[in-house]
Amino acid sequence: MRLLPIIATALLLGTAGTALGQFAIPVDAGLVPAAAPPFATRLIAQSPSFAVSPPVAPVPLLAQAPQPQAAPPAAPADGAAAEGTAQPDLTALRYFARQGDTRRVNAEIARLKALFPGWEPPENLLAEDTAPDPDIERMWQLFADGDFAGARAAIAQKQASEPGFAPAPDLLRALELGETAARLRNASEAKQYQTVLSIAANTPDLLTCEYVDLMWRLAEAFIATDAKQRGTDVYTYLLTNCSNPPERFATLQQAMTTLDRAELTPLLALERKDEAGVGEFAPMRLDLARSAIASIVTGKAGKVEPGDLALVQTHADDTRNADDWRLLGWYFVNQNKLETAREQFQKAMDADPSAISANGLAVALLRLDDPAPAEAVLAEYRDESEDMKALYLTAAGSLLAVQPRLELEAEVLERIVAEAVAEKSAPTAQEMGWYAYDFNQPQTAREWFELSLGWDETLEASAYGIVVSSDRLQDQARVQQMKAAWGARSQRIAEFGLASTAGMAAGTVAPTPAPAPNRNSSAQVVVQQQPYQQAPVQVVQQSQPTQQIVQPGVQNAVIVEEVVQQGGASRSANGGRSTTRGCANYMPAGTLSPQQALTRAWCLMELNRTTEAAAAFERALQSTSEATRTDAAYGQSLAYLRLGLADDAAVSAAAAPQSDDRVFELQSAILAQTATRAYDTGDYRRALGALDERSLYAPEQNDLLTLRAWSYFHLGRLNEAERIFAAVAATGYREAAEGLKTVKQTRAAEQQPQF
Amino acid sequence: MKNWLAALAICAMIMPILPTLAQEGGIRPAEWDAYRQAFVLENGRVVDTYNGNISHTESQGYGLLLAYLASDPASFERIWSFTRTELMVRDDGLFAWKWAPDVEPHVTDINNATDGDILITYALALAGRDWNDAGKTEVAVKLARDIAKATFAKSRAADIMLPAAQGFAEADRADGPIVNPSYWVFEALPVLDALAPEAGWAAVSASGLDIIAGASANRAGLPPDWVSLHALRPAPARGYDPEFAYNNIRVPLYLLRAGIADAQLLEGFAKAFALNGPARTNVETGAVVEAFSEPGYAIIAAALACTLNDTAIPADLQTFAPMSYYGSTLHLLTLDYLRRERSQCLGEAGQ
Repeated sequence: MRLLPIIATALLLGTAGTALGQFAIPVDAGLVPAAAPPFATRLIAQSPSFAVSPPVAPVPLLAQAPQPQAAPPAAPADGAAAEGTAQPDLTALRYFARQGDTRRVNAEIARLKALFPGWEPPENLLAEDTAPDPDIERMWQLFADGDFAGARAAIAQKQASEPGFAPAPDLLRALELGETAARLRNASEAKQYQTVLSIAANTPDLLTCEYVDLMWRLAEAFIATDAKQRGTDVYTYLLTNCSNPPERFATLQQAMTTLDRAELTPLLALERKDEAGVGEFAPMRLDLARSAIASIVTGKAGKVEPGDLALVQTHADDTRNADDWRLLGWYFVNQNKLETAREQFQKAMDADPSAISANGLAVALLRLDDPAPAEAVLAEYRDESEDMKALYLTAAGSLLAVQPRLELEAEVLERIVAEAVAEKSAPTAQEMGWYAYDFNQPQTAREWFELSLGWDETLEASAYGIVVSSDRLQDQARVQQMKAAWGARSQRIAEFGLASTAGMAAGTVAPTPAPAPNRNSSAQVVVQQQPYQQAPVQVVQQSQPTQQIVQPGVQNAVIVEEVVQQGGASRSANGGRSTTRGCANYMPAGTLSPQQALTRAWCLMELNRTTEAAAAFERALQSTSEATRTDAAYGQSLAYLRLGLADDAAVSAAAAPQSDDRVFELQSAILAQTATRAYDTGDYRRALGALDERSLYAPEQNDLLTLRAWSYFHLGRLNEAERIFAAVAATGYREAAEGLKTVKQTRAAEQQPQF
Repeated sequence: MKNWLAALAICAMIMPILPTLAQEGGIRPAEWDAYRQAFVLENGRVVDTYNGNISHTESQGYGLLLAYLASDPASFERIWSFTRTELMVRDDGLFAWKWAPDVEPHVTDINNATDGDILITYALALAGRDWNDAGKTEVAVKLARDIAKATFAKSRAADIMLPAAQGFAEADRADGPIVNPSYWVFEALPVLDALAPEAGWAAVSASGLDIIAGASANRAGLPPDWVSLHALRPAPARGYDPEFAYNNIRVPLYLLRAGIADAQLLEGFAKAFALNGPARTNVETGAVVEAFSEPGYAIIAAALACTLNDTAIPADLQTFAPMSYYGSTLHLLTLDYLRRERSQCLGEAGQ
């Protein structure tokens, strides 16, 4: 029963309370000088509505954490503490003055002024009117150095040697604040937000402009514990009351990482302007507008606010900023305002002639069904990257497909042919075939179709091209041969030449070739370009005159055939997935439908463009089809695993139901990464835990066995480490042999391990 | 003022339970200086030199307890400042167990370790009482409640204490609950019970003895470090070696220091040690895995033999020289026990 008062206090402090407030009681009780007004009080009085009179029903900022009725003694009532009796301890001030340490003198004056409102420093800090105690000076020196442990030890030492000694309350208070601030930072780093809130509630003296980093951590803790408005209140307090410009700027940057766009608006309203009328947050407003626009482009949820486009446009035009022009260009592509998009990219191209500008400009032009300038602008950059090469071939294909057929310049045709052959581009070769066919060159057309089919044996349209051009050449043997080979796979080839299809002219006139899929829609061609083949290529020089330029030529065809054979293996390596859809060029995921995004994402995975793939899977996750979402979640977790983001992978894997096989595959991969990462951070117990868990899904191979052995080794469990190293080393795994050697050396060097 | 009075009341309750440890001078200034220089940094961090120079609540707790036993309030303050600011961060009021020097943030595992929490709480309670520091007593009161809240559990009818707030409960593992017998710091448990009488420390203390006895029913006659209480009979926990090892070597020392004169328990350890010397032992086969060779471990066996059979402690074990952090800690705690309770074991040299 005698314990009741303390238990009662502890209960009032709540479950989230830490011992700190209570710890401070004996130190502070009755000794605390007039403190600065509590943060919560100041907050309510001064923000957010500039109220002059206190609100009717104050809702303390920290009410969620233990506060206010059970106000802990560490937070004395405003001005009530020992009024008139407390005097600042000037030992430190005089000591630093004697040392000539101006910086610390000023810091100490600021500290004392904050603690003792109205106090003014003495005029002559060097006056020898008091005899300095070197022990006490040393304590202040340790405090000023941030060595709180050393200062505590020095106090205890002096108390032991001088039984009557009592440290100045001011020193104890300063130490307490210093230690508490450190503890709050550590709790925040460890994401222990209840501890952060509890410390803040019990230590209002820390909640001032002086400790702006602690205030940010407090705001983060509120927001992380679903008290977003209170977090916003903290930022509001800082922006209303604190005047240091870099800290104000950084405060808004902090808020941008924790709050949504709309929640930032009231904070932006607290902006201060310089004499020229320039707002301090102008760069952030621009960034916010940019990221709102980018969120549309990348397919994230988000919306552009009124003024965002104008802000970025003005800035782009004023500063000739190509990045901003390109951002706007992609935005307008997304919005299908293609002419505006083209204008933006054209400006970007003028200011910054580069592959990325050309890429955007070409996409806009292709979407506008204007492939000629697209091909032209891409031509110069087509060798800069595989993406640009692929986009160039797309534009070339679209250019060839224009109806009615354009008579292309020799120079243009030459470079298209060169690229088609060098890249073994089956779709481009097919377009060349149709192009030649329409210019009444069936022989040349057939050669291109044959090439195309050789490069991609699945292209039905190229097979069909062979049929119609052979028919035009009256090579019925070849027609029949193709019908035999393709009849089962293609209805139009099977029925070619039969009365029902060719009945209109009694079979004497070859039918107009049905267009290959998408060849009349250049916009879609951008999306559906063949994946770029990585097989070795050989540039084939063209030497035919213009009129025959579309003909590969016999000699060249032979060379090409050899190349095709060399590179033939790469196609089957695609595993059949997504070979009919391309992804070599850049397409913002947000511009695709979820199903398109899924196809594209797998394609990107094959090209090892993993970050883009993860974004495309993200878009696919928005599908209403569960099958698509399941596939997307699976794909995204594979992508994150490839990027080494095991935690993200685990989240993705949980985003949609998975089959048992996939669950096993993902879990074992995720746990393997978790183990590796835990090991890398020195958390060997956790590494072992992850490996143990993983062993439920899959047996360990040499690499993970070795990781397990090293974990044992670092935990001092040498016998287990040695056993595994020996077993794995016996299979010839070199790292295990090294481990075995290390264990033996360690045994020799140490008499016994720990734990 | 109310808080002061309450704290004094707690002191009055602890008084009769424990002898005034520090005043007997169980640890000599030269020994403590050597330990401090080897393991305690200026910032109050107690370094586990054989474990990658990390610190943990166990090392901080031992540091506090030894500083108290050596009557060194300055070092106690130093170590407590570090412990409080760096590790006392958990939302449930307990300490994060692990602190690594080369990693940011330094707390690399937010889980607690119950033995570390107990050692810290115990040392705070002793210092609060003997050094007239009600603030420390108050922290200890709250910790005694919070530890119980976070780690006490039921296993069948018994009240048990889990090694940490996360990861060892019945719900956490197929073979849970898991306990570690050496986490029962028996001398501390009555003190924590006095600080928080409603929390159930007495029942947990009693169950610890049963667990040690039950877990020792094997070929080695020794409890494995990690014990599963899932089945009717205590068994070695899965995922750990079935060994009596560096954790449980402390168990007989804790029994002796707590004055627990359970002859059967003590003789079980003594018998195993007499056979092979104190050794890391596979409890299922009885085979010795490796001998504990530091004097800090050997002296535990010697103290046990002397307590039971009046066998004198060999002179070389009576001299302290720092080796590993852990062995050195156990060495000083055993010397402290012998000097206070069994000075005859130390012969002329120990008087």
